[in-house]
Amino acid sequence: MGGSNQLSAADAVSRLSSGALTAEALTRDCLDRMAERASVKAWTNLDPDHALAQARAADRAGRPGLLAGLPIGVKDVIDTFDMPTQHGSSIYKGNRPFADAACVALTRMAGGTILGKTVTTEFANRFPGATVHPHNPGHTPGGSSSGSAAGVADFQVPLGFGTQTGGSTIRPAAFCGVVGYKPSFGEFSRVGIKLQCQNLDTLGLICRNLDDIALMRAVLIEMPHRTIDRAAGAPRIGVCRTPLWDVADGVTHALIEGTAGRLSAAGAAVVEVEFAAPFRDIAAYHQRVFYYEAAHNYAYEHIEHRDQVSQVLLDTVLDPGAAIPLADYIEALEVAEAFRAHLDDLFREVDVLLTPSAPGEAPEGLGSTGNSAFNSTWTLSWAPCVTLPAGTGPKGLPLGVQLVGPRFADEKLLDAAAWVEAKLN
Amino acid sequence: MPIPEPHRLSAVEMAGHVEAGSLSAEAVVQSCLERIREREPVVRAWAHVAGDEALAAARASSPGSLMKGVPFGIKDIFDTADMPTGYGSPIYTGCRPAFQASAATLPRAAGGVLLGKTVTTEFANRHPGPTANPHDPGFTPGGSSSGSAAAVADFMVPLATGTQTGGSVIRPAAYCGVVGFKPSFNMFAPAGMHPNTETLDTIGIMARSVADIALFRAAMMAIPYDKPAMPERAPRLALCRTPHWDKAAPDGQAVLEDAANRLRAAGAEIVEAELPNACGNVSEVQNRHSYFEAPRNHAPERHRHEAQLSPALRHGRIEGGKKLTLDEFRAAWREADHMRAAAQDWAGNFDAILTLPAPGQAPRSLASTGDAIFNGLWTVLYMPCLTLPAGKGPDGLPVGVQLVGKRHADARLLDIGLWVESRLGAK
Repeated sequence: MGGSNQLSAADAVSRLSSGALTAEALTRDCLDRMAERASVKAWTNLDPDHALAQARAADRAGRPGLLAGLPIGVKDVIDTFDMPTQHGSSIYKGNRPFADAACVALTRMAGGTILGKTVTTEFANRFPGATVHPHNPGHTPGGSSSGSAAGVADFQVPLGFGTQTGGSTIRPAAFCGVVGYKPSFGEFSRVGIKLQCQNLDTLGLICRNLDDIALMRAVLIEMPHRTIDRAAGAPRIGVCRTPLWDVADGVTHALIEGTAGRLSAAGAAVVEVEFAAPFRDIAAYHQRVFYYEAAHNYAYEHIEHRDQVSQVLLDTVLDPGAAIPLADYIEALEVAEAFRAHLDDLFREVDVLLTPSAPGEAPEGLGSTGNSAFNSTWTLSWAPCVTLPAGTGPKGLPLGVQLVGPRFADEKLLDAAAWVEAKLN
Repeated sequence: MPIPEPHRLSAVEMAGHVEAGSLSAEAVVQSCLERIREREPVVRAWAHVAGDEALAAARASSPGSLMKGVPFGIKDIFDTADMPTGYGSPIYTGCRPAFQASAATLPRAAGGVLLGKTVTTEFANRHPGPTANPHDPGFTPGGSSSGSAAAVADFMVPLATGTQTGGSVIRPAAYCGVVGFKPSFNMFAPAGMHPNTETLDTIGIMARSVADIALFRAAMMAIPYDKPAMPERAPRLALCRTPHWDKAAPDGQAVLEDAANRLRAAGAEIVEAELPNACGNVSEVQNRHSYFEAPRNHAPERHRHEAQLSPALRHGRIEGGKKLTLDEFRAAWREADHMRAAAQDWAGNFDAILTLPAPGQAPRSLASTGDAIFNGLWTVLYMPCLTLPAGKGPDGLPVGVQLVGKRHADARLLDIGLWVESRLGAK
């Protein structure tokens, strides 16, 4: 056998369910790939015996549930009762939570297993973990969900959990050349996920196939499995350069414009969409909410363990965030609400927005996980986002395009993304 | 001259004495601990009291800090790294998180002394803990922030935190005869609060005066402390009976009408006003949110400890929540957005809304913490709420009134609250 680690989650599940594949064999293939590719450093505190024990238990139970023994990776800001949870910080070295996070428990209840914990930046913020880009170890994999993106891209696991407060799911998925998904805010429970920003934090998924997203939505929302409708037809597409278009490089400009042209030629109605004047500076309001809430939610680390917090987090987020006046924070919350209503209006004319996933290829160096200019606005908007792989850039590293749908229309976004994906390939 | 019974002082008075040198922070904490020792066998407000640690913290506290060593309690729904954290559930016996909630960290950083963890109902939901109403132990203190309300009312501690998803701060505060404050949604950082319903959970605080609420609020938010300012003119108040007036008991109705008359006599303009029509369904929207989230948020307990969940939770919100569809949940959120916008426009016509905090006095039972019918609507609307003691029920238990302000105008609501508190004269 061997090679089952290359299967998408949905394909693996159909083989697991039919008996063509055992959970143990799939888990072994994933573990073998990890051992072979340990230099990617996608995992933290990996316990292969525990992963195999879970897989064997799933096999013994007859691989029940929607996940039928599928192993998944869990970002290490998400609690697991049977594995350490360290939040990418020495403050939490050896921390063993009392309970699973809701998303982990729902995964197990659906018959999934937890392969291990994936590397996160410190507190899902800026200071990077050890993970490198699987296609070129001199480049960042993106972050903060670095290990989930690299592990999935490198075929070490079919699917990983990420979280996004700025751009932490979509950007690393795009950099690593895989599919990333941030759902509508409020649909996936956040219980047991380290809270950074109550108005922004969103549990996301990183995988290699759009069908995997539909499957995991059913698991995490405990709803019947609604598969993607590939006959839904061409969506109406709004090309959204965003007010930060100049942050993207020329390759990304050409990618978005070229993609718009191809989708139009393939039958989609394509129009240009711009934010109204009051929202040209919307990313700055995201930053204000982000810094203020992070400083207050990370008060314990900021105040009682300051010497163990990275200088970059102190200097760029926590100290400035703690200094933001309450009135400025409230203003940002109110602008964000108005922006959400504005987006609802924009979505009367189009079904999805086409926009960059990131400014370009994954940057060289491991000191920064890249720029979230093309993510933070959408996180603040609470709208669902998908990034799809879209070729490679001048250094041979992956590029992505991002599709954004109206809030609470995630199913239609996935249908549209499948249509776009078919035209990209 | 020694100060008798320092535990009966308000937090502002305690801080004033510490600053003046007429009381030490240690003496204040010692007095509160003695009160707890004396009364806890009856009231049962605490899940954990950290007496020695609190005395040490009081000795080390800075008279230059905002809180100057004044003690506070936190509901056992918040994580603490140096105390057990049980969420009111036997499942979490022995749980000691690695994290400390911001609701504990920020007041500690402001010089407050954390006295311990107060009793919560199971997961801040309905199944009650052992706490009794300090005015009469045959009556509920309300819930889910049962221990915080009872401890503050019984002079065990001057300040305590709670959480409100339906009516879990305002109702127990009213039942116990203290001041309860639920700020606008999300104003107190929620990190380390075990979620009940993420869309609604709001951290609130309790004290025995509006001035103490303002002090504790500043500590909870790490903002400069501005004393509430007495409004220059008497306020314009909307007397709002809500769509649930027929669910109010005669004593609740009578205390509200009486308070309105007294405030009118004191110069307030009282206008009868009802919520906009758009908000007619607001209590049902609150239930839909909570029910939908319950099975998902409680997945960890359902997966590994289902038998240790109370039947009330299992057969109530968890089973009920499984029956709701995703579209029903999405519609609840959309409807709530619409209601919030309508309520905000409406609330702008008044300085505050005057309404009921609970149907009446606390029910005579420890099996139920009472009805949140007069609270859930304001929680969904994300508006700041303040309850003040205003009268007595037929059994001599406290009955309060509730003031509600415009969303994000929390400090203004406290100013209005100070005026109402002074005119109602209840302490």
